[in-house]
Amino acid sequence: MPKVVIDGREMDVAPGTTILQAALARGNEIPHYCYHPGLSIAGNCRMCLVEVEKQPKLVIGCYTPVAEGMVVHTASAKVQTARAAMMEFFLINHPLDCPICDQAGECRLQEYAVEYGDGKSRYTEPKLALAKAVDIGPHVLLDQERCIQCSRCIRFCDEVTRTGELGFFQRGERTQIGIFPGKRLDNAYSGNVVDICPVGALTLKEFRFKTRVWYLKNTPTICAGCARGCNVVVGVGQQQTMMTTRGQQDDRVKRIVPRVNEEVNGHWICDEGRMSYRREQEAVRLTDARVGGDGVPYDDAVAAAATRLHAAASQGRLGAIVSPRLTCEDLFAWKAVLASLGGASFAVREIVRGEDDALLIRADKGANSRGAEWVLGAAGREAEIAGKVSTVLVAGDTLDPADTATLARAGVEVIFVGPFVSGAAENAAVAIPSASWSEADGTYVNFQGRVQRVRRCHLPLGEARPGWRVAADLAQAAGVRAPSWTSAEEVLADLAAAVPAFAGLDPESVGLLGVGR
Amino acid sequence: MERILTRNVDREGAGTLAVYESSGGYQALRRAVTTMTPGAVVEEVKKSGLRGRGGAGFPCGLKWSFMPKEVDPKRPHYFLINADESEPGTFKDRLLMERDPHLVLEGSLIGAYAIRAKAVYIYIRGEFVFATGVLERAVAEAYAKGYAGANILGSGWSCDLIVHRGAGAYICGEETALMSSLEGNRGYPRLKPPFPAASGVWGCPTTINNVETVANVPFIIERGADWYLTLGKPPKNTGPKLYCLSGHVKRPGVYEAPLGLPMSELIYELGGGMLHADRPLKAVIPGGSSVPVLRADECEVDLDFDALAAKGTMLGSAGIMVMDSSTCMVAAMARIAHFYHHESCGQCTPCREGCGWLESVLNRIENGAGRQADLDLLISVSNNIIGNTICALGDAAAMPAISFVTKFRDEFQHHVEHKSCYEGTMALQGVR
Repeated sequence: MPKVVIDGREMDVAPGTTILQAALARGNEIPHYCYHPGLSIAGNCRMCLVEVEKQPKLVIGCYTPVAEGMVVHTASAKVQTARAAMMEFFLINHPLDCPICDQAGECRLQEYAVEYGDGKSRYTEPKLALAKAVDIGPHVLLDQERCIQCSRCIRFCDEVTRTGELGFFQRGERTQIGIFPGKRLDNAYSGNVVDICPVGALTLKEFRFKTRVWYLKNTPTICAGCARGCNVVVGVGQQQTMMTTRGQQDDRVKRIVPRVNEEVNGHWICDEGRMSYRREQEAVRLTDARVGGDGVPYDDAVAAAATRLHAAASQGRLGAIVSPRLTCEDLFAWKAVLASLGGASFAVREIVRGEDDALLIRADKGANSRGAEWVLGAAGREAEIAGKVSTVLVAGDTLDPADTATLARAGVEVIFVGPFVSGAAENAAVAIPSASWSEADGTYVNFQGRVQRVRRCHLPLGEARPGWRVAADLAQAAGVRAPSWTSAEEVLADLAAAVPAFAGLDPESVGLLGVGR
Repeated sequence: MERILTRNVDREGAGTLAVYESSGGYQALRRAVTTMTPGAVVEEVKKSGLRGRGGAGFPCGLKWSFMPKEVDPKRPHYFLINADESEPGTFKDRLLMERDPHLVLEGSLIGAYAIRAKAVYIYIRGEFVFATGVLERAVAEAYAKGYAGANILGSGWSCDLIVHRGAGAYICGEETALMSSLEGNRGYPRLKPPFPAASGVWGCPTTINNVETVANVPFIIERGADWYLTLGKPPKNTGPKLYCLSGHVKRPGVYEAPLGLPMSELIYELGGGMLHADRPLKAVIPGGSSVPVLRADECEVDLDFDALAAKGTMLGSAGIMVMDSSTCMVAAMARIAHFYHHESCGQCTPCREGCGWLESVLNRIENGAGRQADLDLLISVSNNIIGNTICALGDAAAMPAISFVTKFRDEFQHHVEHKSCYEGTMALQGVR
């Protein structure tokens, strides 16, 4: 292992490590724009210039591997001069339109200008005027003036999606990012270019002008779009909370961005996952409890459901169709509660669409399919249940038009617990709202068998409660032994005690990045 | 003095194989491939002291010796000839290619043999349409005579010759950008290392030489390194050199002389002296537009790599641009800056942003809108470019700027104070 000295501190570094990586590993950020750990090295921004003793010129930290005996200075006067110079160069043709730029608040130009710039420019010539808000794809807009030509987006399309839609056009200071003639930036992962753009050149149509990023409440959670379980950060708008007395109106998801997890999704997420919150927001939410289609108080609906479920269970005629997007906690709660009512035959709805791709997307859209397998054991199929039961509990948040119509025609009574008004809810004898994916804590198990934490990102809408809470309330109303859970963590504790696959797990051990089992 | 490199250029039928062979052409190639090992060729060239004529003056034989000694069949060696000659003030390679193409080809083939190359690619500047045609005809002749292609001169060694036209970008004369361009990609310089000998074009071991450099090689092989060492100023500045003389002289043109020709001899004897008797010498750019300028009082200098380096400038591509007292130095520098602004490839930040900035400020000063702070600003922006870029284009733009502003500061100052050029000097359009 080469021994190097960075800013006076000696460290052992694996051969091949670059100065930038070595410094980052030690928590010493060398400013950079074009370097991205998920992409090849371009070395074009020149922001990471550092001084290496015995080298005549400054070297770029992103490209220079450490070598035995190397002595590096990342903050010497020479380096600081160069950084200030680069900042000045970056900004001479930059429009400085931060007041109307979505990137403001999470912009590397702003951050580095404050930290490394001189705070003033000597440039007095006219700035280049280039195209703004160029529509380059279904999700992405390009602002040519803000672009600093770091080429991250080009490299992403060349190296990650291998679709090659983007390239540089023109030359010198007129160099511009663009799409090749006849193409659109239209691949399944296009939104990632917005995340990796260090400035405001690439913005997401769906997030554009929606909120200031500093009004977002960011929660690390897991995407529910498919069995991959990509690690994401959900940003929830808080702006109106500050402006109005009744704040919940804006307590909604504004965007989903990837969170790095090399074991699961690397640095990326797909566009479908990124936009999944919009589908949920566009769907009609079940906000109040209903019996026979009429709104009733929550407790009344729970009591009505308890009676029906209990009756069917005691005759051995109760079925349960659960969504593979329910958390392990919800699944365990239903299993436990229905067992105490007398037992039910379970089926897990299959949601399969398209095919696995080479990058992240899985055909199995059940974010917790593996978890359902672990919690429920071998569950039956929906069709098998249909003929054997008189009453069925449909639990979950699936938006796919369910085949509950079939169940209803077969004279089966449906008790629905879920967040959306769709097939099952409309045909249900009793419908009880439950929290959606972004409204409750829990755990998912992805297709690799990795247990990961889903988090409550904002308050549930209306009367909606977490599924495990509804289950516990039902048990209470049915007069059977009711669990005393007050949080998802307590459900997980019971689950860990009951199901060996979860033994020893608690939120802390699952952590931000999950644990493989 | 015997003309070596240019011995054929003004002969009747110049450029044909017949004329070339009648002057002993291709005998050096025959000697190299039939009687010498590649290593022996490298050693001979090393011994001759031949330094690259493209600009940097790197020892040619040493460069060749960096190539792997064995060829990995999966990674063939390539020999590239940089014929992109686009440095302002430089027109020597064009002369060789147009008037004695077989000399270029013979030198290329000997070099290719020395580095065990599978093929020679001559990357020629796109604007050189005529020279391209001449070279292509010569290549066809060479193939027909067995000087190129399979089993060259019965030696068992095979090598292809390919002429590739560039598309008009100055940056493609930078060796790694040239490789990117040859591969069909955008002409962007690459990060180094790896150096071309380790990984060049298509990721294979590659050597790249300037046209004039390889034109020296047949003579070294034919007459020996010892003979070559007698020319010029041995040991470090040996051999014949082509000087491109332009500007305010009576007879501009390409002149051949041994390395180390005194500048005064070039201007006042070979070049016939200053264009106008009443306009004395004011400044000389000695190595193409990218090198620092010399004031008239600095022009007692020999035109070789080391003498010019001692004066703080470079021989570069030996494009000697002579400026008389009518030249407005601000206008001259603004024109140079315009070139680099236009040609910056835009890959890395300092050059992309800095070259345009330099031109804008220079134009402003020239047009009477200069400010006192602009003079130091030009130097500061230049210093912020120098050494911080991927390739040397940024330096090429910044080094002249520093030298013009420092050496002719009074003239720049005059522009700022009086909003006009020095009396008797002409703005850009008036240069003649």
